[in-house]
Amino acid sequence: MSTKTAAPPVLPAAMGKRRDRTTRKSVVVKDKIADWTITIGGMAVILAVAGIMVFLLQVVVPLFTGGTVGARSSYALPHTSQRAVATLVDEYKAIATMVMADGKIVTFHAPTGKGLQAPAFDFGGESATAFGSTLDHADVAFGFADGSVRFGELKMVARVIPEVDIPSGLTRIDDRDSTDGRSIYRRLPGNQARVSSVEVTLEDPQNISDQGSAIVALDYRVSGGANAGVKSFVTVDAGGVVRLTRAESKRNMLTGKSRTVIETSLLPSLPQGTQVERVILTERADQVFAVSGNTIFRYDTRNFETPVLAETARVLPEGVKVTAFGFLIGEQSIVVGGSNGAVDVYFRLPRPNALGSDGYELVAAHRLEPQSGAVVGVSASLRGKTFATLDDRGNVWLRHSTSEQTLIRFDRKNEQPDTVALAPRANGILALEQGRAATLLDFDVPHPETTLATVFGKAWYEGYDGPTYTWQSSSGTDSFEPKFSLIPLIFGTIKATFYSLLFAVPIALLGAIYTSEFLDGRVRAVVKPAMEMMASLPSVVLGFIAALILAPIVETWIGALILAFVLIPLALVAGAYLWQLLPLDQANRLAGVPKLGFQFAQVAVTMFLSYSIAPQFETVFFGGDFKNWINGQSGNSAPFLFLALLPVSFGAVAWIISRFYGERIEALMLSRDKTGAAMLDLGRWGVILVGSLVLAFALAQGLAALGIDARGGVIDTYVQRNTLVVGFAMGFAVIPLIYTLADDALTAVPEHLRAASLACGATPWQTSIRIILPTAISGVFAAIMIGMGRAVGETMIVVMAAGNTALIDWNLFNGLRALSANIAVELPEAVKDDTLYRVLFLAALTLFAMTFVINTVAEVIRQRFRKRSVQL
Amino acid sequence: MKYADVLDKTTPATTTVSKRAGVSDLPAAGEPFLWGMGGALVVGLMMIAGFLVLVFWNGITTFIPKPIEVVTLASGEVVAGEPYRSESYRVGSDKIKGLGPDIQKKIAANDGFAMRTLYRTGNYDLYGDDFRWVSDYEITKAARPVEMVFIERLEWGAFIGSITSLSVDGKNIPADQLSPQQLTQFLEDARGRWNKIRRIERIEIGNINHEIEGERLRLKRVAIDKGVDSPAFKAVEAEVEAGSAALQHAYEKLAAEATETRTADANFTITLREIGGREKTLRLSEIVRLYHANDLGTVEWLGIYLSRWAEFLTDEPREANTEGGVLPAIFGTFAMTVLMAVLVAPFGVVTALYLREYAKQGRLVSIVRISVNNLAGVPSIVYGVFGLGFFAYIMGASIDQLFYPERLPNPTFGTGGLLWSSLTLALLTVPVVIVATEEAISAVPRSMREGSLACGASKWQTIRNIVLPRAMPGILTGLILAMARGAGEVAPLMLVGVVKLAPELPIDGYFPFIHLERSFMHLGFHIYDVGFQSRNSEAGKPMVFVTTLLLIGLIFVMNITAIVVRNRLKQRFAGSKF
Repeated sequence: MSTKTAAPPVLPAAMGKRRDRTTRKSVVVKDKIADWTITIGGMAVILAVAGIMVFLLQVVVPLFTGGTVGARSSYALPHTSQRAVATLVDEYKAIATMVMADGKIVTFHAPTGKGLQAPAFDFGGESATAFGSTLDHADVAFGFADGSVRFGELKMVARVIPEVDIPSGLTRIDDRDSTDGRSIYRRLPGNQARVSSVEVTLEDPQNISDQGSAIVALDYRVSGGANAGVKSFVTVDAGGVVRLTRAESKRNMLTGKSRTVIETSLLPSLPQGTQVERVILTERADQVFAVSGNTIFRYDTRNFETPVLAETARVLPEGVKVTAFGFLIGEQSIVVGGSNGAVDVYFRLPRPNALGSDGYELVAAHRLEPQSGAVVGVSASLRGKTFATLDDRGNVWLRHSTSEQTLIRFDRKNEQPDTVALAPRANGILALEQGRAATLLDFDVPHPETTLATVFGKAWYEGYDGPTYTWQSSSGTDSFEPKFSLIPLIFGTIKATFYSLLFAVPIALLGAIYTSEFLDGRVRAVVKPAMEMMASLPSVVLGFIAALILAPIVETWIGALILAFVLIPLALVAGAYLWQLLPLDQANRLAGVPKLGFQFAQVAVTMFLSYSIAPQFETVFFGGDFKNWINGQSGNSAPFLFLALLPVSFGAVAWIISRFYGERIEALMLSRDKTGAAMLDLGRWGVILVGSLVLAFALAQGLAALGIDARGGVIDTYVQRNTLVVGFAMGFAVIPLIYTLADDALTAVPEHLRAASLACGATPWQTSIRIILPTAISGVFAAIMIGMGRAVGETMIVVMAAGNTALIDWNLFNGLRALSANIAVELPEAVKDDTLYRVLFLAALTLFAMTFVINTVAEVIRQRFRKRSVQL
Repeated sequence: MKYADVLDKTTPATTTVSKRAGVSDLPAAGEPFLWGMGGALVVGLMMIAGFLVLVFWNGITTFIPKPIEVVTLASGEVVAGEPYRSESYRVGSDKIKGLGPDIQKKIAANDGFAMRTLYRTGNYDLYGDDFRWVSDYEITKAARPVEMVFIERLEWGAFIGSITSLSVDGKNIPADQLSPQQLTQFLEDARGRWNKIRRIERIEIGNINHEIEGERLRLKRVAIDKGVDSPAFKAVEAEVEAGSAALQHAYEKLAAEATETRTADANFTITLREIGGREKTLRLSEIVRLYHANDLGTVEWLGIYLSRWAEFLTDEPREANTEGGVLPAIFGTFAMTVLMAVLVAPFGVVTALYLREYAKQGRLVSIVRISVNNLAGVPSIVYGVFGLGFFAYIMGASIDQLFYPERLPNPTFGTGGLLWSSLTLALLTVPVVIVATEEAISAVPRSMREGSLACGASKWQTIRNIVLPRAMPGILTGLILAMARGAGEVAPLMLVGVVKLAPELPIDGYFPFIHLERSFMHLGFHIYDVGFQSRNSEAGKPMVFVTTLLLIGLIFVMNITAIVVRNRLKQRFAGSKF
């Protein structure tokens, strides 16, 4: 700043010397630095907007991309020629196990196939004829040819030890893992290691089939806690007899001995000649499903003593067999794979006229993309509704039931796989070929449940009647399926915006027109800042007042509120007709502040009146209590219809009168002096009012007699924190915004238009409505759009006052859950990079897009308005 | 203005030719529509007035000591409490059936409505409730006995009852031998002891804990940098062990002192009796405030009112934030807003300068302008989401890995905090500053700029010496408005760093004194939290109202300052045009 670069050039020139014209270097450097910084700063704003969008997108995109396929390793397995009855991989994909029919267990390192020593089930030389297990394969049961059943446990044990405890002399397998021959030691970050191994236990045989006929199908479930376990299992023997057995062991707390009570129930026999191939039961043993050919037989065993064959469902066309069959986690959804490659997911739903005798029916909720060969294997994930299917040509597909998408296709040729096992975390598949060779495929599918269709469309969730839009992100249980449809939230945002604009726009616009066109300058200088002050109220304060103060008051005085909505306009119009009775000079004298004062008094008095006659009003119209009425407990629909029809019938009567008598009345009015004309006008209004009351009453009675009820739809069950309260509170946020911008647009209309119109003899009212408003209309519209943008993004008011129920209904007296509120409530709890986290980012992106569109439209309109007003 | 003026001028003309036909063309005047518009404006004004009156009235009257009323109910039950508020309500039909015939008649005459009063009965520890509705028809007798005291406690909220006796160092003093001065003296002494215990536990032991934690982290850092087997690690380990013994010793000494004071304090107790006859003995130091609610002189009354305000403004919250003060929240709001202003000012001013002084007015500028407008229109919660995802989880996590590896896996900057909150709000409010600065810059007359350039000043010199000083009031206005907007914003902060109770302030006596990574309390969030997350929203309401008053007051002061600055600026420019 102290760089005085140049003295006035006159001086040196006069002295005849050449002036030194170089600018000091520091000045040039500073200038350059400023140039660069400021330009970069300017660009940074564009970057910020783009950056926010790109960042949100980048978080959201993984929701809709499938998975990434990782390493794939194939290897031959050591010494076995038998078929495995069960195959499983542990949670960390370190160790894999095959259980053979003779009880031998083949255990190997999952990524490389290096064999490990493992304990075996000792069947005493016999071979199992049937196998059943829980979904996680931890509890297993074997059926034998002599009709006996043996239970066991197959545990994948993993424990973390510090690095110092790792025994020496381990054999290295690969860069992560080493083994001592029995267990896999995997190094973990933080100087630790995880030891994975397999442990088995086997119980004594129990005779189930009394004739000693072989068990051909078996399923087994364990429920209850550690002290009181219930083992349930269902067996089918070679004779076709289906038995459900329940073994309940109770431990005596005093003696510590456990006592086992075994009960067996014979299930109703199946049609002659039915060969049951597979049987499964639910964890609580209340449903048993047996498969034969293309038919599922469903037993209802809720009553253990008297089980019934509830339903016989043909799930596949004639001639096609069910070749794969199993539960998904939660044990409600059943995957059915057919010999024609079909993969369908069924669940049991209550239906009117259900096929099942218990009122339920198996419904094919999801028909997934068929595979090219017969589906021979199904393996369900222990987390979510992901499962893998295997066909007889060796193709393994990873699918998700609810989103119906095929996540990964793992196509192989010329291989003969017979079993497939999905890793518990659904991040790897082990496919086995006749117990001779195996392939482990690593992949990562972080968000299998979300597709554009499930997020923005309907999805059929387990146990639901049909496809729905549902938002329900979390619950207590493991098998809970999160439901991520943004539609109820978008709807909530739209509903809140719509109702609050319905309230705010008339008040803001009418107020703005009055302020800019009819108010004295001095009054305007007070009124406008006062309204603008409302804009600076923090929305958390508005939300608090709305939810804790206003909501209870509105709940108690809802009758008064409805009455006020009807009476205030009526009173104002009545006031106007009375005002017309004033002689012109007095009317002009009182036109400024006194008139506003009268209006103020009128509104206040009408509010008080509504408050004091509300009980009578409720008694007459709503049978005593509005909330009872609205819940449909009392009264009929006619009184409300009457109120709702009032504006319509008022318009109709007014139109009829002006259509048939309008000219006559006008001629009459013109022939009188002002007071006389005003009397006439008042009379006309009175006639219209009475006429419309009569008409509305008649219409309401008629409609009510026809059975039309206003309740249901826009007017329905009352909830304390409802859209009415939200709309009112949001009014505080939106009214000042629309008001100020609209007022600015109206005042920006050039003064000469106003003057010209008035000079031509138009009244101020005619000028404002026919000249000013049409000229400023685009500016006014932009004001509404900006108000709408604010309402869409408003958060704290909806968090606090809207009740946060994610419903899709237009009921004014019910709550809602808006996108913004949902983010504010759920994001603090969401785990980073989780599906919920990303879906909430998607919600934010949706909100961003909504406001982006609204603001851009407003901006474009505003620019056009500016151009136009410049042209004028 | 316009029409009023026009009409005034035409009035004489119209009155003279009042018989003219056109005059009675009433529909053209549109009077009913005008009244509709006027009514809309009136409703808008009434909304704001009603709102402000509600907040101010409730906020100001909250701390007024109220009398304690003892009402005897028809059922024989006695209830003592502060009358809180009264309302008219609809009596439930099943309730009406159980009432006497004359009461039923009375209610029926009132259209099924009756009056009821909410009493703040306190004594939550005895009854599990601190409020009770009493309907007017239930009351048989109401009195305001002088001996009733209102006690604010550190725990369990208020106690309402009477004093039975006092136990001072084992000596029992019955209530009737106790002079008010004595009681005040005892209470003051107890307060002193309590403050001493608190000082030892919070500050002195806190210091030691801080040092121990620092040493632990130092050791961990060395282990990460140099390895566990390095000589440097061994040296530091020895050092830390030696130091920790001394610290441990100091800690034990302080702990013993605290225990001793506590034991002594337990000898000073007060025994109280609530209206139902149950007795309760408290330590004197548990009492925050004690007064005879029905026997207050004006001075005492005013003293209690003011002391409650003082406590509110300068103390920490108690009882899940529903009592005590809001100092940490005031401090947090202040720190966050100031930091936000520091961050937003350069960015906003630079962008405005770019738009007005540097960029060629072309497509690029219009894109920047659309960006600015869109930034202004993006919902605040979206900024919160961005702040959490980008600032905290990406930038913060990287900072943690680079500079605070010893604290991992506990995040330092990798979670919400003061810095990220301020940055998020800076992004949110930058359009306000840009627009205000642009206006201010464009208001600087072109002639001044040209004069400066003509004198040979460079572009930056012109901006620095001519444009910015003249635009400064406008820039300040924008900045103050941005601060007002930022101070009232809560939704984004819920995601990026505000907590219901912050154990430590973001500025304290430990190096580096300003802790940008710490989460903080905020007045706006305090309102949300106390109003919605506390055990009893009724108990929290007074606190919420006072906090609301404080927050609105703060924001209005900022807004009014901005308006005053703007007006000054206008005057200055009116005079300095050339």
